Amino acid sequence: MIETYLQQTGNAASPFFDELAAPNGEVREHWKKLAHAYDELGFEKMEQRSREISQELRDNGVTYNVYSDPDGINRPWKLDPVPMVFSQQEWETIERGLTQRAELLNLILTDIYGDRRLIKEGFIPFDLVFTHKGFLRQADKIKIPGKFQLIQYSADLVRGPLGKIWVLHDRTDAPSGAGYTLENRAAMTRVFPDLIRENQVRKISSYYQTLKNTLTKLALQNKENPRVVLLSPGTANETYFEHAYLASSLGITLVFGQDLTVSDGYVWLKTLRGLEKVDVIVRRVDDIFCDPLEFFGKSQLGVVGLMEAVRQKKVTVINPLGCRILENPGLMAFLPRLCRHLLNEELILPSVATWWCGHEKEKKYVFDNLPFLIVRSTYRSYENRPYIGSELSKKQIEDLKKEINTHPYLYVAQEVVNLSTTPSLIDNNLEASNAIFRSYIVADTEKQVYHVMQGGLSRSFPAKDGLVTSNQSGGISKDTWVLGPLPQNPPQQPANQQPLRQVKNILPSRTGESLFWLGRYLDRAVSNVRMMRIVLKIYNERDDEIHPETDQTLVILLKSLSALTGTLPGFAAEDQVKLTQPEKELLSLAVETSRPGTLAQSLQSFLTNGYAVRDRLSLDTWRILDSISEELDLMKENGDNLHKIYHNLDQFIIKLMAFIGLNNDNMTRASSWRLLNTGRFLEQAMNTCTILQAALAIDVKPDVEKQLMELVLMSHESLVTYRYLYRSTLQMQGVLNLLLVNEDNPKSVAFLISKIDEHLKQLPDDNSEGGLSPARKKLLEALTMIRLCDVNKLVTPDDDDELSKKKLHDFLHHLITTLGQASGAIYESYFSPTQSQYSFVKSNNPLPEL
Amino acid sequence: MKYQVTHITRYEYQQRASLCHNLVYQVPVDHTFQEVKKINYQIHPEPRSLAMREDFFGNKFIYFSIEEFHRKLSVEIKSNVEIAEPVWIKTNPKDTMPWENVVIWLRSAEADNDIRQFYLESAHIRFVDEIRDYTLQSFTPGRPIMEAMLDLNSRIFNDFDFTPGFTDISTRVEDVFLHKKGVCQDFAHFSLACLRSIGLAARYVSGYIETIPPPGKPKLFGADASHAWIALYIPETGWTEFDATNNLLVNDRHVRTAFGRDFADVTPLKGIVYSGAGQRMIVNVDVRRLE
Repeated sequence: MIETYLQQTGNAASPFFDELAAPNGEVREHWKKLAHAYDELGFEKMEQRSREISQELRDNGVTYNVYSDPDGINRPWKLDPVPMVFSQQEWETIERGLTQRAELLNLILTDIYGDRRLIKEGFIPFDLVFTHKGFLRQADKIKIPGKFQLIQYSADLVRGPLGKIWVLHDRTDAPSGAGYTLENRAAMTRVFPDLIRENQVRKISSYYQTLKNTLTKLALQNKENPRVVLLSPGTANETYFEHAYLASSLGITLVFGQDLTVSDGYVWLKTLRGLEKVDVIVRRVDDIFCDPLEFFGKSQLGVVGLMEAVRQKKVTVINPLGCRILENPGLMAFLPRLCRHLLNEELILPSVATWWCGHEKEKKYVFDNLPFLIVRSTYRSYENRPYIGSELSKKQIEDLKKEINTHPYLYVAQEVVNLSTTPSLIDNNLEASNAIFRSYIVADTEKQVYHVMQGGLSRSFPAKDGLVTSNQSGGISKDTWVLGPLPQNPPQQPANQQPLRQVKNILPSRTGESLFWLGRYLDRAVSNVRMMRIVLKIYNERDDEIHPETDQTLVILLKSLSALTGTLPGFAAEDQVKLTQPEKELLSLAVETSRPGTLAQSLQSFLTNGYAVRDRLSLDTWRILDSISEELDLMKENGDNLHKIYHNLDQFIIKLMAFIGLNNDNMTRASSWRLLNTGRFLEQAMNTCTILQAALAIDVKPDVEKQLMELVLMSHESLVTYRYLYRSTLQMQGVLNLLLVNEDNPKSVAFLISKIDEHLKQLPDDNSEGGLSPARKKLLEALTMIRLCDVNKLVTPDDDDELSKKKLHDFLHHLITTLGQASGAIYESYFSPTQSQYSFVKSNNPLPEL
Repeated sequence: MKYQVTHITRYEYQQRASLCHNLVYQVPVDHTFQEVKKINYQIHPEPRSLAMREDFFGNKFIYFSIEEFHRKLSVEIKSNVEIAEPVWIKTNPKDTMPWENVVIWLRSAEADNDIRQFYLESAHIRFVDEIRDYTLQSFTPGRPIMEAMLDLNSRIFNDFDFTPGFTDISTRVEDVFLHKKGVCQDFAHFSLACLRSIGLAARYVSGYIETIPPPGKPKLFGADASHAWIALYIPETGWTEFDATNNLLVNDRHVRTAFGRDFADVTPLKGIVYSGAGQRMIVNVDVRRLE
């Protein structure tokens, strides 16, 4: 295996540096153990390990999203079983270089938002900074107490043909990937425990400890017990998975912009208990999206007034707003001189050769050498894609030159580096691919030094594929191994580790809302599946076409399904077309995601809400969510075959029940659990009433009624209970008693309502005047209706009733309405009302065409 | 000259609003030729928090938030200011530096970055070849900068129509040039685009002009709302102000509130409000001469 790889790459004439193969055709020293182990394993076993890794990552729900692609949500994260490897000796230089660079950038940042002496004295050209969109004038003169302004830093490193390490990018705004790195390492440790041990791979955990420690220490107020939150742009963000994952591994609260509000200069988290002060915000939202009042006015991802809260020193934002100025690649051209000036040292890690076009001489060089260069905008964004000189047409080159001449200071050109190659397991083969390594550095405020993660995230892509470096555009990740023991032994623990404290459980209102809907869609899906199974069972038993007059049972069941799914008229339509040919409508009710009320839509909403609260769910629960998602895809594939769909329905019931069981078992009896169950029970109660109304509150022949009663009991898993309790033939009174009134039966509406009330009683209540909240009043009303009703009377028609079940029908109708009002009241009192954010300054007058 | 300035902004929301955060750039500033004697501001409903701040460009602005339900918001700022005749009134335009020398000087080590930042592009100001060509018709080779500027000022005044309602703050300066219509903001933005496109430093000035003209003098354009004009940097005189909307070299009838790269830096009232629907705005400005 290694021999073949050596033959491909280990050749003295090759212009590329290979990580594993030395020019003399031998394996490099620090790769020897690994190479030997791979040879022992052979391709077959390596592929098997690779599958284990994929399985492990999938089981852990590790995903990323691709913005532009509608199917790009929740793509599985890919990890190469072959890591990126650094020797102890080389790492020593890299680590020193990264620390130095972090120190340097920190000083530059402090100066840019401080006295700007470096600009006045000519160390940094003024227009390099003043034309950069990352220079936020609103953040001028604002400092975090202490020497560290740059708290988190990442550098993307590559290796050139001579083996030298270069910095390709500096990432300072909201660097991502530390969560994936942790997952990568976990998966590798599970699959290759022996290799990790034998190679003395350094642990990466101290990075996360230091990060946590620093975040806590940066609180300006409330130093004793600071509240730290991670601000995520939302579930659609490409790295949302890791926001949720990092938040839960660091033990901080995951929030979105809409969860926070600024009042009295403080930032508050909207929780079920009311507002809770926030001390530190770790943001994964780009700086100009953080406050629509002071920056990009259309942003819905930020917090209005955040900048003012920062100004008043009531909250610390990490990294501070304005940090993106350091991502300006034009700075790279000036770093060597800045390093000598500020640190009195030579820059240890050079940047990729960079020419800033703002200087005439450099611009001329760039114009003369365009085919060998990559031209980048100084401001990184999705719109500003780099230009690869060698791929430009003559016309494109002319246009680019014109653009650069107009705004020379907005462009840099960088050398195209012949990246080193490193082995990757691809299609049963070890292939030489290019790799970029992202390092993670965090300020250790206690020891007053920068702490470098002993590893990081590498991404590899087919050799010579250009400088594609974002997961948005592909690539496979690699774990990064730093070999050899740590220089100081034993590894230091953070000096005074805080004792583990029970943190008061806080639940953002939005999270509460998602949990409530998670519960509602969960049980909506369950009722839906159960009803559909019964309908299909009866439908499949027939062998000729349906005659609405004679096949009463099936007709009523179909109409009940329309009622239950809220897709009326559907089967209840006057023309009866769907009744005689139900297949198409049944398929639609199963698989059509975009149609409200269908099973697919309920499941999709269930998954979406589950995804939004994934930091609150256990790992096993994620796995169930993922498997439901997979089953949903399978069902959609079976979109034209009712028999196959029947099988999917069985699977759904098992998985949904597993979800319910797991949460009953695992979730602490806190607000989150109560809201989930409030949603579930409310949905169940309303669905039971709907089914009773649609299937039993109608006039039919006695034998049909009997069959319907049996099926309704079946759909509530209560047939056995009925037989046990009544030991008689089916009677309407008995069925209604069991499913509505009997408070010992966990399936009865009365039981469900009292459960909901119990939960609401335990939830924080803002109804300070005492007495019952509006929601509980409505529940009491519904419960009293049931308790006071006389089932016998409900099914005995009055003389003037045209229909014998009118009273039952009206009773259920009233009950459903009351429960609906209770739901509305719960919504009003616990969740934020939907108000939109408007900007005063409006601008949408289109101009007339000339 | 002494003035009392009253600036009232009223918002009416279609539905009640629960929260709003605002930035106000309506406070006249002390300046070489302008002294602020008195400032009073009233905001209804009563803000929960309010702070007077200074921005990057040295302007004063008010931040405030209202955190109770409200359907109306009003911001009323009253100030008394005294304006002196600026030094440039006495300057003979013909005696100023050739404009190219100013361009060179701005790029020398002598010029301050606080000045140089105003020759760069900004949110509303882009370099456009056609606008540059238009400018060079006034800025002919070797022409004294102030003379050229006065010529440009009057060309803009003559070539462009003051047409309220045709543009809004998102209208691009290229389109203003194409249609040759707009209000004072557009006149100011266009002037800035002209000057910066040839390498000069010029900044946006927002403020007010006298509402009722003295007897015998015409009422000026832009008197009933916030006004805007520009300042061009001329090494001997410093920031020299020109009002293209009225074809004026600014004298003592302009009250200054803020300086910036363009409108975006000094928007008179900026806010984010949480409500169920949109809103309507009414602005009233009154600038009265005192004795």
